[in-house]
Amino acid sequence: MKEEQSVLSKYLCPYCSEVFHDRESLKKHVVRKHRSDPLPSPQGMIRLTINGQPYELMVEPQWTLYYLIHDKLGLTGTKMFCDRGACGSCTVIMNGRPVLSCMTLAIECDGSSIETIEGIAASKHPLIDAYVKHHAMQCGYCTPGFIVTAKALLDKDPNPTEEQVREALSGNLCRCGTYPQHPKAVMEAAENLKKGG
Amino acid sequence: MDVPGDYKKLQEEGLYKIGADVPSITYKEIGKRGIKRIDGYEKASGKAVYTRDIQFPGMLYARVLKSPYARAKIKKMDTTKAEALPGVRAIIRYDDPEIKGRQLNGSYFGPEWVCPDLAGWALKPIHPVLGDEAWYEGQPIGATVAADSEEIAVEALKLIDIEWEQLPFILDQEEAITPGAPVLRPGAENNILEDPRSRIEKGDVEKGFQEADKIIEFKAKRRAHLWAGAELPSVVVRWRGENLEMWVHSQQPYHQKMLLAEWLGIPMNKITVHVPYQGCSFGGRGNPANNSENGMNILASLLAKRTAKPVKFVYDRSETFFGESGDMMVTHFKVGAKNDGTITAVHIKNIFAVYMCTPGVEHLIDNTKIPNLLCESIVADVSIGPAWWCRCEQLPNCFCLTLIFDHVAAELGLDPTEVALKNDGCDGKDTSFLSKYKREHGFPERDSLKECIEAGKKAIGWDEKWHPPGTRRLPNGKMHGMAFTWDHQWDDVRGTGSAAVMIENDGSVSIIAQHADIGVNPWTTYCQIVADELGVRLEEVNVKPFELDSGFAMMSPDGSCNLVSNGNVVRKAAQKAKRMLLELAATKFENAQPQDLDIKDSIVYVKASPEKQMSIKEVVAKAMPMFDSCVFWTEAPVIAWAWHTQGLWGEAIETGRPRLCRQAHFIEVEVDTDTGLVEVTKVVNVNDVGKAISPETVEGQMYGGTYMGVGRALTEEMIWDKQTGVLLNRNLLDYKYATMLDAGPIETIVVETGMGHGPYGTTGIGENTATVIPALLGPAVYNAIGKWVDEYPITPDKVLKALGKA
Repeated sequence: MKEEQSVLSKYLCPYCSEVFHDRESLKKHVVRKHRSDPLPSPQGMIRLTINGQPYELMVEPQWTLYYLIHDKLGLTGTKMFCDRGACGSCTVIMNGRPVLSCMTLAIECDGSSIETIEGIAASKHPLIDAYVKHHAMQCGYCTPGFIVTAKALLDKDPNPTEEQVREALSGNLCRCGTYPQHPKAVMEAAENLKKGG
Repeated sequence: MDVPGDYKKLQEEGLYKIGADVPSITYKEIGKRGIKRIDGYEKASGKAVYTRDIQFPGMLYARVLKSPYARAKIKKMDTTKAEALPGVRAIIRYDDPEIKGRQLNGSYFGPEWVCPDLAGWALKPIHPVLGDEAWYEGQPIGATVAADSEEIAVEALKLIDIEWEQLPFILDQEEAITPGAPVLRPGAENNILEDPRSRIEKGDVEKGFQEADKIIEFKAKRRAHLWAGAELPSVVVRWRGENLEMWVHSQQPYHQKMLLAEWLGIPMNKITVHVPYQGCSFGGRGNPANNSENGMNILASLLAKRTAKPVKFVYDRSETFFGESGDMMVTHFKVGAKNDGTITAVHIKNIFAVYMCTPGVEHLIDNTKIPNLLCESIVADVSIGPAWWCRCEQLPNCFCLTLIFDHVAAELGLDPTEVALKNDGCDGKDTSFLSKYKREHGFPERDSLKECIEAGKKAIGWDEKWHPPGTRRLPNGKMHGMAFTWDHQWDDVRGTGSAAVMIENDGSVSIIAQHADIGVNPWTTYCQIVADELGVRLEEVNVKPFELDSGFAMMSPDGSCNLVSNGNVVRKAAQKAKRMLLELAATKFENAQPQDLDIKDSIVYVKASPEKQMSIKEVVAKAMPMFDSCVFWTEAPVIAWAWHTQGLWGEAIETGRPRLCRQAHFIEVEVDTDTGLVEVTKVVNVNDVGKAISPETVEGQMYGGTYMGVGRALTEEMIWDKQTGVLLNRNLLDYKYATMLDAGPIETIVVETGMGHGPYGTTGIGENTATVIPALLGPAVYNAIGKWVDEYPITPDKVLKALGKA
């Protein structure tokens, strides 16, 4: 921690992060090396595509992706349940892969494309109707996490076996115990996707 | 002075009636499969809003200090550094005037009372909101802080300097009652808590033991688990001058409002409560949890008052590991039985650590003809958090009933289903008493237990597979075991609720009342009832029960009791609204009286000439609560409300309503005798629910409960460090509940005898599958390996120990 602070208190080039001991050296460096470069992004700014829309966001280094999505952007369908990567409720799809947004630092996601439950619902993905039809929910708190995980599976493999569905969803916890309904819903959604396609 | 008649009428109409419910309507939506859940899209699409999702500009975040020690006292506390941290907006200390010496106690009977609903908690002598002494590790203590962010609030707590005095602690209940053990409560002589239910006696057990052919004695121990719901305990509070507004994760928000008003000393009519969706509860957010269990509502209100800003208070996951299941018990059983399986006497001796005032004999009273029962309980004070509802307080009952019946069957070499049938009854009387009751009260005379057992045996292949203990090794080398238990679903005999049904002036129908949804699909069910009672299409009925200020509040501990109370509430309101609607309609048909009319598919018609029709929309077009009526005369709105009370908690005979519906549960396991691992390969749940309004919902409660039960049976356990008294597994990685892969197929069978005491012959569903299954794993493992594992959860080490391998 101390070491980090000492680095921060020094003079950091906003273009290339080179460290200098005084302002004058930094100035000289910038003029010499970066004179014709486009202006650098402010520190802490990330660019994301969320549900197809571009975002430029200033984030603090300790923010998790969950915090950014849920608290800052108001996409509250992404849920915090276990608080430490045990339950899958905060799952979002990042660059095609399901990730736990509570275990991911927002600042590390620069340039990523993210899909949340809101995007999946807006696209009228057949998983939504199938989940409703099969009562694959009770209190509903963990449901978006299951659906996002299932969407990532179907994106990757549109023809999963029921066993593969169970395996893919086994990292998602549901305290209400709705488990038997999920494979039914996902298999039906897979069928409907094929029909739709 | 005129005595108004309406109140008395309401009271009379609202009281439950004993006897079979013969419906006056034809079911169209009630009992139908394939009905879309009313909350389904919101939940699936992430649109459903929970308390944690609520945010306001300028909102502050609250956190509270937790005791790091199992038993400790604050000698000195300095908050200077914390107060100086930028972003900290308020710190309330235990010695601040608004909180000093104040207790969490409080009830409808006055501030000094401990709410009777608090059961196990109430047995503890002191409950400071924020004191200077902790009697369990993790107890809120010392100080609470509101800051601009959660991180700052947490940081501020770390900056509080505290000089602690650590005190002796005890974790184990048997150790606590050993002479010479340190006494945990100041001024007490020993660690035994006063318990009004410490002795429950029926008949004469000594006489019963003399009549027995065999005396069976055994001991069993159950370790603590907890509700561990998905959504964390949470509340958001803001003050609007003298008015307080609150968003709360709670099963019973009206109760929370009562207690908060009393504690703050403000009138109830100044508190507005919003109740978003509830991410699980299982009793964990039940009754006055946020008030009396951890004081969150109080602390958030005080911080919001001091800072004049909205305050959000959410526990983190590690902080939710308190409020243990009420079955942390060590029990000695003595059972007398005849060779044919007739049980003549049961003596239960419990030592509880935490407890919810159901010692374990009640289901033997409610369900069996066993004439001689004695249950003696000691509740020991220990240095762990008090018990709380945890799907549910009946855990000791299911535990005891299952173990007693399965031990008797095992000792006598009988089929446990036969032993169950042999002892079915009520309050020491055999099934002929129940048959007589059914005849006298208009119920069908069906043998619920027999029907459930037959259905379950067929589904699991009992007759083909049942074998003597320890005799069936499978081709994969594992031992095959199976077991059966039975019980009844409480509770269809308690609870109170109210609701209105309004016909909006476009003809759509609103159910108006607050109701806390915890997932058991109640709202769809209410809409089904209202649709059928009114004669309207289901899609025209809606309910948006998020506001307590609607004036009506439906009963909610969900599942087991909600439908029997609220089903009656919405039915009565719908019936009244229908009468009003027909009165209004009669003015619009030529020469018609209300009784000449009826409604079908949202069309009002003349019964004698069905071609004379009018849509509901046409009937109510001018019936509205408000309108700027400068162009036509308006009519009074069609809105009716009802209140229903289903009675008081009590034993079957006390309530005058013996439980007539039964259930049967069957399980198959495979036990690896090298590793001790137990796998659940098949479960069959059979529930006589009287009448299933929503069959998929009923099934959801069965398989859902089974998964929870499997977790409790095999892996869920709170583990404290013996050296420090600190809970070691405060997270969902180390506190393990069942995942999708942790149980084999679960078959759910719904039996509908119509013998429940609820509307349309329903009885409850929901609480008990999770409560029955944990105990059932013991007999299943016994059947597999021929040895009893008498300590729960049944972890591999205990199986190996039973096998003599560890």
